[in-house]
Amino acid sequence: MSTHREAKFPAKDYVDPTPLPSSVPHVDELGVTSAPLKTASFFIGEHCKKYNEDFMLCKAEDRDPAHCLAEGRKVTRCAQDLITKVRATCLEEFNAHWECLERNNQEFYLCRKPERKFNSCVFEKLNLSKNIPGSPADKPQIHEKTWPIYGAIQK
Amino acid sequence: MVNYKQDLPPKGGFEAIKFKRNLPTKGPGGAVIFGAVTAICAFGFWRVGLGNLEKRELQREKAWSRIHLVPLLLAESDRDIYRREQAALAREKEIMKDVPGWEVGQKAYHSKRYQPASIVVI
Repeated sequence: MSTHREAKFPAKDYVDPTPLPSSVPHVDELGVTSAPLKTASFFIGEHCKKYNEDFMLCKAEDRDPAHCLAEGRKVTRCAQDLITKVRATCLEEFNAHWECLERNNQEFYLCRKPERKFNSCVFEKLNLSKNIPGSPADKPQIHEKTWPIYGAIQK
Repeated sequence: MVNYKQDLPPKGGFEAIKFKRNLPTKGPGGAVIFGAVTAICAFGFWRVGLGNLEKRELQREKAWSRIHLVPLLLAESDRDIYRREQAALAREKEIMKDVPGWEVGQKAYHSKRYQPASIVVI
């Protein structure tokens, strides 16, 4: 995201098989597609807050990709750790929610039922809760609303 | 003497002419209908207002779910860009090794700010 261009060209793919230099420690990439990432996003944000903020502060210092490799590895390891934990404890609920997102245009508001189950499972087992920053304090957050106006027409 | 009978109104006079419409009044009156329409509209607009507030919260939720994912996506793409840059530098070094005074990866600008590559060799 340092560049807003995809590594793709119309005529030919921009493929470079050269591996990372061995001076850079190896880290497994997440390899998670968009829907599971969206499912886990708030818990990644909560679980990895320190690493994420550290990394973003580092990026604010310098946009050079070489500058924040160490912090970036920590971010990826932390997210990897969270996904592994979630899959180990709440695999069924996790899968139910991201498959629902996959079927519903990746909209949270169409998947509240599986989301509630998933959130409560994560809260019980991993003690992480979904908090949306900036929500009005006197009302329940949008994912906890009992009678939402926008929802799936077929429940 | 001619026998005749004067044509006169019947006793008690003629019946009143029925010129008024004689239809039963059906349904609620105008004021009631107007009031009902107003009430329904008011309820609808109230729901629209609530829905707008809810939509704002839904947008906030979506935005934050993306914000939480920015660092890890950025970290991943940074590693990829770094790898490609290093590979490009190595290629440049190999190609330009016979040219004396060639500085590998020299910037086109007098600035320390990072400049993403604008040209890639495929």
